[in-house]
Amino acid sequence: MGRVSSGNILLLVFTLIAACAWAFPLYWAIVTSLKPEAEVVGSLSLWPQTVDLSSYIFALFETNLVRWYVNSIGTSVLITAIVIVISMMCGYALSQIVFPGRRMLFLVVLASFMVPSQALVVSQFVLMHKFGMINTWGGIILPQVIIPVVVIVYKQFFDSVPRELREAAKLDGCGEFQILFKLYLPLNWGITTALSIITFIMAWNNFLWPFLVTTSEEMMTVTVGITQVGDSFGVQYARDMAVAVMAAMPVAVAYLIFQRRVTQAIMLSSGIKG
Amino acid sequence: MSGVTLRNIKKAFGTVEVIHDVNISISQGEFVVFVGPSGCGKSTLLRMIAGLEETTSGVIEIDGTDVTCMEAAKRGVSMVFQSYALYPHLSVFDNMAFSLQIASRPKDEIKQKVEEVARILQLDQHLDRKPSQLSGGQRQRVAIGRAIVRQPKAFLFDEPLSNLDAELRVQMRMEIARLHNQIGATMIYVTHDQVEAMTLADKIVVLKSGTVQQIGSPLELYDNPDNQFVAGFIGSPRMNFLEGKVVQGGNDAPDEVRIELVEAPNSSVPVTLSGPKPVPEATVILGIRPENIETGNPVSAEDDAVELSLKTEFTEELGGVSYVHTLTEGGVRVTIERRSDRNHIAQDHISARLPTRHLFLFDANGMRLR
Repeated sequence: MGRVSSGNILLLVFTLIAACAWAFPLYWAIVTSLKPEAEVVGSLSLWPQTVDLSSYIFALFETNLVRWYVNSIGTSVLITAIVIVISMMCGYALSQIVFPGRRMLFLVVLASFMVPSQALVVSQFVLMHKFGMINTWGGIILPQVIIPVVVIVYKQFFDSVPRELREAAKLDGCGEFQILFKLYLPLNWGITTALSIITFIMAWNNFLWPFLVTTSEEMMTVTVGITQVGDSFGVQYARDMAVAVMAAMPVAVAYLIFQRRVTQAIMLSSGIKG
Repeated sequence: MSGVTLRNIKKAFGTVEVIHDVNISISQGEFVVFVGPSGCGKSTLLRMIAGLEETTSGVIEIDGTDVTCMEAAKRGVSMVFQSYALYPHLSVFDNMAFSLQIASRPKDEIKQKVEEVARILQLDQHLDRKPSQLSGGQRQRVAIGRAIVRQPKAFLFDEPLSNLDAELRVQMRMEIARLHNQIGATMIYVTHDQVEAMTLADKIVVLKSGTVQQIGSPLELYDNPDNQFVAGFIGSPRMNFLEGKVVQGGNDAPDEVRIELVEAPNSSVPVTLSGPKPVPEATVILGIRPENIETGNPVSAEDDAVELSLKTEFTEELGGVSYVHTLTEGGVRVTIERRSDRNHIAQDHISARLPTRHLFLFDANGMRLR
């Protein structure tokens, strides 16, 4: 039995306070969503006196939440699939194929990593408008499929695959696509899973771009759609919170299931490890 | 002509040429070993044959077809890598079947070929395992099996035994030799270990700094080296070299020169040469293998011999053989091999005889004088 130092106790208390401060808004959102509207404005109880699911029923049947869900799932899945496939191929080319301008191309990818997405929204909006893609899935998806950090992470991982494996595959008759999909991808399933999850979460949580590119309520994603609930029906805290909780649910579930992978991906993409 | 032919092969990385005008002809079914010190270009040469490195100039032919610009997979060669290069996510079966699967061969054919090769290599009990679950020797066998399954025109081995421990290396060496006898395919093997080269090869190619020094059978290279580098590289322990100078041409025989060793200045020995003779006062190098130095009674008293006084440093007793490491008065190292005489050399100084019939003579540039 080791002795617990006062420093450790202090650290533990501080951590607990920080955890409570972080978790309380989430707790408050869930509790509020379960209260009847009158109780929300009438008292500040930490626990609902009566559990009322009417806000959830309202959110599901009186708003476009289901449609927003479909839009969010559809666009996020497509964004994730496209990002992973093109980033993997780009990372593979930068890592393994020798061609003129390879180094310059990598520097361009690195440089694009430095440009904040907010700086591009005006030109992207004009472009999507010219393509006639406002209020379409294509308009939501296209500007989100370029994520340089995914390319960089893939390149780093492909760099660490022993050169002999690629040479053995070449001698076995593989072309570049076969080497990528039969060798490099299976050898990097772990990072592919991690990058897929984090890309999905990023796409699901994205607000600014879908907010700009969708004006029709039918085409909105969940993150944009929930802003319409308050607008349409006045401030109804329980309903707002119910919609917010349901909007956050898929990401929370995904995070709980793939916690380790998400942490790994965040560490990799922020350059802590890799 | 079948087999593998290299004609005027050159390889440059940027402006640095690392392979200089190499010409090698390898017959069908021959076991050829490229040997040389690190950085001599032997692996580069092998990779050029495999198609993994571009050839700067020259022609590579496999089975009579010019493959110089052909991509690796179409050359019909298989390669066994030093690191095995097994696909870690695939089972032994899938590793061995990979090339056939890529070529879209029928499943029955793949199964039959892989199982047949696995039986030859005693891997049939391990087909479902992943490479990480195998020992070093088993992994090496899988790598060889993967090469055999493709039924290539030539097998290329790039230092395949370097990652194994000494005992396993000897065992695998025998297995490779047995395999060559069994399937009779052309094999090109790269190693820096001259013992491996001597034991496996039908023909050895000795390389130094990207240049072929000599090509020949193991015993040809051992008995009749073209230069000082080959003489020193082939044979373990290496040949002893002593500096000397030509004191005069032969008196009795016109094809004889007398050499005086720097280490034994007051005596000279006659050496018979059939080719051009060095001029008097020219510096020469005398070479003699450790097993040819006599320390006891002369084997043949009629032999001309150089007498040397040597200071013993230490002795390696290996049981059947012992190596006595000595120094001349001038500090040149001389190694003596003793086989029949197990008596310990107690004295600090020993007298050694270097019979002239065992001497190799090289000029100052290291080229053999015959």
